[in-house]
Amino acid sequence: MKISLNWLKEYLDGDISVQTAVEALERIGLMVEGREEKDGDIVLEVETYSNRPDTLGHLGMARELAVALGLRLKERNWPLSELAVRTADLADVQILDADLCPRYCGVVVKGIKVGPSPAWLQKRIESMGLNPINNVVDVSNYVLFSTSHPIHAFDLDKIAGARVIIRRAKKGERLLCLDGTDLSLAPDMLVIADEVKPIALAGVIGGQASAVTEETKDIFIESAYFNPVSVRLTRKAAGLQTDASYRFERGADISFPPQAALMAASLLTPFGGRSSREPADVFPLPPKKKEIILRHRRITELLGVQVDETFVQKTLTDLELGVEQQQPGVWRVKAPSWRVDLDREADLIEEVARFYGYEKVPSVVPSLQVVDPIPDKSREKLDRVRPLLFHYGFNEVINFSFSDADRERLLATGFEAIQIRNPISAKASLLRTNILGGLLETAAWNKNRGLDAIQIFETGNVYFRDERGCRERLTLGLLSTGMREEPHWRQKSREADFFHLKGVCEALLQQLRYEPFSFEKAEHPCFEPGSGLAMAYKEEKIGYLGLVVGRIREVFDLKQPVCAAEIDLELLFGKQPKPFTYEAVAKYPAIVRDVSLLVPRDVSYQDICKAIEKLPLPILEESRLIDLYSGESVPKDKISLSFRFVYRHLQRTLLAEEVDRAEQQVLVQLKRAFGAQLREGGKIDNRTGKN
Amino acid sequence: MKNFESRVDELRKKFEGALAGVNDDRALEDLRNEFLSRKRGHLTLFFDDLKALTPEERPVAGKLVNELKIQVQEALTTRQGKLATRVVTPDKADLTLPGEKLPWGAPHPLMLFQEEIENIFLAMGFSIAEGPEIETDYYNFEALNFPPHHPARDSWDTLYLGDDLLLRTHTSPMQIRVMEKFKPPIRIIIPGKVYRREAIDPTHLPMFCQVEGLLVDEGVTLAHLKGTLEHFLKTLLGDKIEIRFRPSFFPFTEPSAEVDISCILCRGKDPACPICGGTGWKELLGAGMVDPQVLKNVNIDPERYSGWAFGLGIERTAMFRYQIADMRIFYENDLRFTRQFSLK
Ligand SMILES: [Zn+2]
Repeated sequence: MKISLNWLKEYLDGDISVQTAVEALERIGLMVEGREEKDGDIVLEVETYSNRPDTLGHLGMARELAVALGLRLKERNWPLSELAVRTADLADVQILDADLCPRYCGVVVKGIKVGPSPAWLQKRIESMGLNPINNVVDVSNYVLFSTSHPIHAFDLDKIAGARVIIRRAKKGERLLCLDGTDLSLAPDMLVIADEVKPIALAGVIGGQASAVTEETKDIFIESAYFNPVSVRLTRKAAGLQTDASYRFERGADISFPPQAALMAASLLTPFGGRSSREPADVFPLPPKKKEIILRHRRITELLGVQVDETFVQKTLTDLELGVEQQQPGVWRVKAPSWRVDLDREADLIEEVARFYGYEKVPSVVPSLQVVDPIPDKSREKLDRVRPLLFHYGFNEVINFSFSDADRERLLATGFEAIQIRNPISAKASLLRTNILGGLLETAAWNKNRGLDAIQIFETGNVYFRDERGCRERLTLGLLSTGMREEPHWRQKSREADFFHLKGVCEALLQQLRYEPFSFEKAEHPCFEPGSGLAMAYKEEKIGYLGLVVGRIREVFDLKQPVCAAEIDLELLFGKQPKPFTYEAVAKYPAIVRDVSLLVPRDVSYQDICKAIEKLPLPILEESRLIDLYSGESVPKDKISLSFRFVYRHLQRTLLAEEVDRAEQQVLVQLKRAFGAQLREGGKIDNRTGKN
Repeated sequence: MKNFESRVDELRKKFEGALAGVNDDRALEDLRNEFLSRKRGHLTLFFDDLKALTPEERPVAGKLVNELKIQVQEALTTRQGKLATRVVTPDKADLTLPGEKLPWGAPHPLMLFQEEIENIFLAMGFSIAEGPEIETDYYNFEALNFPPHHPARDSWDTLYLGDDLLLRTHTSPMQIRVMEKFKPPIRIIIPGKVYRREAIDPTHLPMFCQVEGLLVDEGVTLAHLKGTLEHFLKTLLGDKIEIRFRPSFFPFTEPSAEVDISCILCRGKDPACPICGGTGWKELLGAGMVDPQVLKNVNIDPERYSGWAFGLGIERTAMFRYQIADMRIFYENDLRFTRQFSLK
């Protein structure tokens, strides 16, 4: 809200400097966000609040300043030049929809010579950043920016039948608005109509057909109170926002319409305007004045400071509230009609605090008793996931949750994306159904800036619509591309490949005790054919990983291989991990045997593991794949797998024969199940009995 | 045969030479593989070569190879035992060469900053609660004392997903969800993503991160809010900052306050200051005493209990702290930017 210092002085008794005004306003929460010198005046840009429509005019600001600075408000008089005729004889006002228009005032001003405003008025209008139009329009605006009460002037001759009817619009009715909009009216919109047609959209904008022009002689001034919700819905539906609707939708002062109308009439007298007697004032729904009980005790309890009772009473009285002491420390308070924000005791306590000064409220660190923490399982688990990923060398990123149709089509996750009804742009019209899209974008961004090693992850929600409605699920996305490390004299830099990322997934699941987990070959629209795996825990699919397919990489201009994975953390965290148990450290040495086997190529490693696990061999502590070879010495349809088997007995030292027998069992089982053969010289007794 | 013997000798020398140079377990393991690997180990291949010899030569040669195998195995085992106790001084190595590069992943700066904030409150016995980003009008507005169709909603410009569904515009709905479920005393902070219908520019984003705090108990006052936030902000931003509380308006708090921090860049002296614009103050968070209507909405008696709440934007706070001019940089995820912060 623009506030002119000179204009304020029309209301404030006493001279105040800009500095004083700014400091006082800011202390009571009216922040000055800008100031501008204009023609010997200073115009402040003051931030106002949606619950304080009274501060949307100079009078309201002056009231606040008067209390803050202990100044008095000037009484202003609005003398009239009255005609003998009553308003009712010149115009007939009728409210048909009192719920949307609880009060409507009107006065007729005859004999105006429409023309330019005098210099003082033009200056005022200009200080609000508007161009002066003519004396009638400028006077309307002057009243609005003075009192925050919007008024509207009609050309009386253009009101058919001299009837002013406040009613809902009828289906099919239209209004050509002052700004040129040709509006199709809906039946829930309130209009001002004459005998024939709508002439204004109530509280929002006037119509061109009834507008004041150079030829206008007689006008009808409207000063009303319109239902705030109705004005808001109407101006939204019409797509129009005016200074009037801005104030009406926040709540005008229902007591003020007659004063605003007469103020305008008075201001028009210098241009020959003579007003009708007895303004029309149709007021079907006078509101009940509410009484608020204010207890001094509550002020102390809420603010944590003893505010002097006389200060409380004086502040509220200065704010023009009706204050009556009911008993010591208890007041009955009536708020003035312009303070639509004051309804309850807490509202009054805020007023006391505002003028008392927040800076005078002490700072007290509360003494806090011990309370049980509110558990958040998902959060606790996430707090374990992230450090593990940092440890694996992955960098955390955060992308916007938005997506668009192109991206969703490209990544084709199979989820129905949630649409945003009022998106800021087409690029952000959907919510993402996957983390991968953002990760690819991030990878491309960094790649384009010369980074070779890109290992990134994001934990965040994906969103989709299913039969249960709109859903969001906490998901982990991982992406690895390029080198795993920069070149270095000690290490050959390794390329980030499929098994690197798979290792990350395995380590993560292991360290969170989601074991046993498994991987199955599974095609995925984002991955190269044959490169995808589905991850499962307790037979339920929890995620997938693979090599991002070329056509997707092309879109992001990523030429090198890209590995990616997604894990549904919401699903995973909802499952019980393997319970943690402590196991005694083995006291007896292990016997380690390495065995190389020739296995048909179509046998999967995971199946071999399962076959070994199935054997009733309690002394087989561990079996690990330590080498894989398929060279000249290996037949084309076979592959050589070297396993390291660790045997151990928990209560005693193992005998070589026991291990031989166990090993034989393993070999027989693998031969029977897969036709696996021992490679020649393919047995090594490591003798590294680690204890 | 002669040839075979000399080859065995050669291999023995080779092994002995190599063994002398072994000074760690890994090198030892490599050496073991080089000689004993079942596929390509030198000795394994020698055994293969025995087939080429005459039946007379074979046993002698076999013995030679076997002896070497035992020697190798024993030498390796002995060396393994010694390795553990040997003092390792890399001879001739230039010790000024750089050490190995250990890769490390870095957290996102917003998460780091969020954790810093969380930790201050965890130390005061607060719990952390996170809530849904897809919210209903009730939780995002109505329960927080925003009447339907009230212009107060305009300050929280909303992205709608349906008639009643929206992307939460603040973390405050979680206040309601927590108060519905738990009885006072309640002490929580709520971090999370929030959404506004804002065009992207250097200081506005349609998605950003917020942290909300809520305390409800008997006898909670505005003085406590001031005390707690001063402690919090000075812990986060340093003892030197000044803090200003000024009246404001939020539908869900009454009285409401806006909290400003003194500008650490220009101290109010530079009219062109990118942080404060010369006012000397930077608005950092909104706060207030929980509105009695909000307490009533969750069946908490406002006559018995009172509370305070605050909310702050993590990006804005981080920008203030590190003098970052453009908010968008947090979501570009340029690793040269994000990785720096793990060093702080
Ligand atoms: Zn500054």
